[in-house]
Amino acid sequence: MQLLTAPRGLIVDIITPFTKGGAIDGPGLRKLLNRVSPHAQAVFLASPHTGEGKSLHTEHRVELLEQAIPAMAQYPIPILVWVTQDNEADSRRTTIALKGVIEKRGYMGDLFWVDTPLYYHSNRGLPDLYKALCSVVGKPYILHNDPEFINGLTRPLKRNNIRTAVLKELISLKEITGLIFSGSLDRAHNYHKACRRRPNFRIYDGEELHFLDHPSTSGVVSLGANLAPKAWEKIIQSSLDLSAHKKDYPDHLRQIWELGDYLRDMRDIYLQAPTPILKETLSDMGIIETPICTSQFEDTRESKARLKELMIRFGDYGRRESVTSQSD
Amino acid sequence: MIIEQAKNVLTIEAQSILGLIERIGPEFEKAVETILKAKGRVILTGMGKSGLVARKISATLNSTGTSSLFLHPAEAIHGDLGMATPDDVILAISSSGHTSEINRILPILKNMGAKIILFTGGLDSPMADISNIVIDVGVEREACPLGLAPTASTTAALAMGDALAVVLLNQRRFNKDDFRRFHPGGSLGERLAFKVKEVMLTDDHIPTVPLGSKVGQAIEEINEKKIGATLITGKDQRLEGIISDGDLRRALINKENIYEMKVEEIMSLSPRTIDEDETSAEALGLMELHAITHLVVVDEQRRVKGVLHLHDLLGREGFIPNAAINSATRTHS
Repeated sequence: MQLLTAPRGLIVDIITPFTKGGAIDGPGLRKLLNRVSPHAQAVFLASPHTGEGKSLHTEHRVELLEQAIPAMAQYPIPILVWVTQDNEADSRRTTIALKGVIEKRGYMGDLFWVDTPLYYHSNRGLPDLYKALCSVVGKPYILHNDPEFINGLTRPLKRNNIRTAVLKELISLKEITGLIFSGSLDRAHNYHKACRRRPNFRIYDGEELHFLDHPSTSGVVSLGANLAPKAWEKIIQSSLDLSAHKKDYPDHLRQIWELGDYLRDMRDIYLQAPTPILKETLSDMGIIETPICTSQFEDTRESKARLKELMIRFGDYGRRESVTSQSD
Repeated sequence: MIIEQAKNVLTIEAQSILGLIERIGPEFEKAVETILKAKGRVILTGMGKSGLVARKISATLNSTGTSSLFLHPAEAIHGDLGMATPDDVILAISSSGHTSEINRILPILKNMGAKIILFTGGLDSPMADISNIVIDVGVEREACPLGLAPTASTTAALAMGDALAVVLLNQRRFNKDDFRRFHPGGSLGERLAFKVKEVMLTDDHIPTVPLGSKVGQAIEEINEKKIGATLITGKDQRLEGIISDGDLRRALINKENIYEMKVEEIMSLSPRTIDEDETSAEALGLMELHAITHLVVVDEQRRVKGVLHLHDLLGREGFIPNAAINSATRTHS
């Protein structure tokens, strides 16, 4: 297996667009990918939250990846796909099915499997599990640690975080290249400490606010970047490449400050129901066909209106802009 | 909320330094050896906040015995590169390793023959590729939101600079005298920069009794002038000897009724002397060398010009140098 270094920077947590018939909205997905990819270092498909991955069966994820590949083939950035299912066997089956898509499509770009191991497995024996998985799945892994997500399970495990000692063992596997992390700052420090012997091991902020407040040097998984990829790109550049902005001076700091406020305000609005609000906005912008989600949400019209007003103010909302950025 | 935010910032910054501990290794040792072997100076360079950190590290190196200067990368390409020589060691600081101004000058410096040490978090950057020694000062996250200013990364670089300076200091066996030499602006250094004539006791403040005086008279003089000794002078105020508290103690043990004895019977015949134009640092060195607390200041004919007590060098409360008060009255307690 060719080993990759996990990307550093902006990973866009892509919404999963559906047609009225419930299939994957391929054209919509490609428009969205074409809109965000030039500004990102990776895209994340079928993520458990924004990508509604919890509700996507293997066939859906296969279809999603198949629809994404034509668009992504033109961008030199990796695809991340969430492969976790309710149990170990299904997760493995999904991963192997997705691997089949790559092989069938002859996709030459970089790809990482994202797995939330505590969703279906306890800490005990995790290193052995991944030793076995890595030998068959053909692509490197990025792990996902999200205690709130695990707490929401109907049969929660005793521990909702990957134990630091277990992580230390896991990173001895070179196929495990990064971790999307949500949780406390203290745990983040412990994880970083555990991973120091792997200089290129990435620990991404899984929560946008964490990154906006105290940016990690690996990057962030952002759902807001579905709507405002350019603004996120600027924030990422500012946060990760601190010396590269001299050309923006003298008002660089003001620009960044305003953009930071914009992204925070945006987040405050869509936090109520991120996926439907993002989908409705993208649908209104003409990027995706419908705002259909896999589950029902409360009325989000007010939030959507506020978001639209905010995005217009920052030049991120416009059907023309979204249409001209399409390539399909 | 305010306290919580402040705690978060301090935690992140503290972690940025703690994270360096495990990464100190052979590269750091190589950096120390390279600097110790270098015939030239350590030239620090960095842009923006890293430049400020570089300036501080340069100052610390200078204070601790490693000759150093700061080279601004932007000025370097407009002529300042001329200050570098093949014997110098370049210490560049760049958080990302992509700072274009530094990337422009490092190849030139390397071609010149200078060794390049890099402090960076960008271990796979072009700057790291060209450097001879790369020291990882990367941090897991910045404390400042939105990358408005580097915070944890500059803290880490600064701390690593301190580590380098202190290790170099220890390796060079930098001692107190060296410290004095390099700290003329410090509180102690300031005093030690004075000439002896500026800090010595003069005129009526010099405890002195003539040859032939009784020891009782010498004791009264010691008691009055309160510096623990009196000079014994001959014709034209020439220095003949000194009686210190120690001489008196020894005389009391060995002899009876010392009050009636002549001073020449118990005085030390060869008191240590110094010229009035020597520095206080030199005077302190002599006192340390001979384990004494007094020096007599004499001219070429051994005529007494003043006397210097250790306390005058180390600083008494309310100390004002003679240069300022021009032999005004001082009270020693």
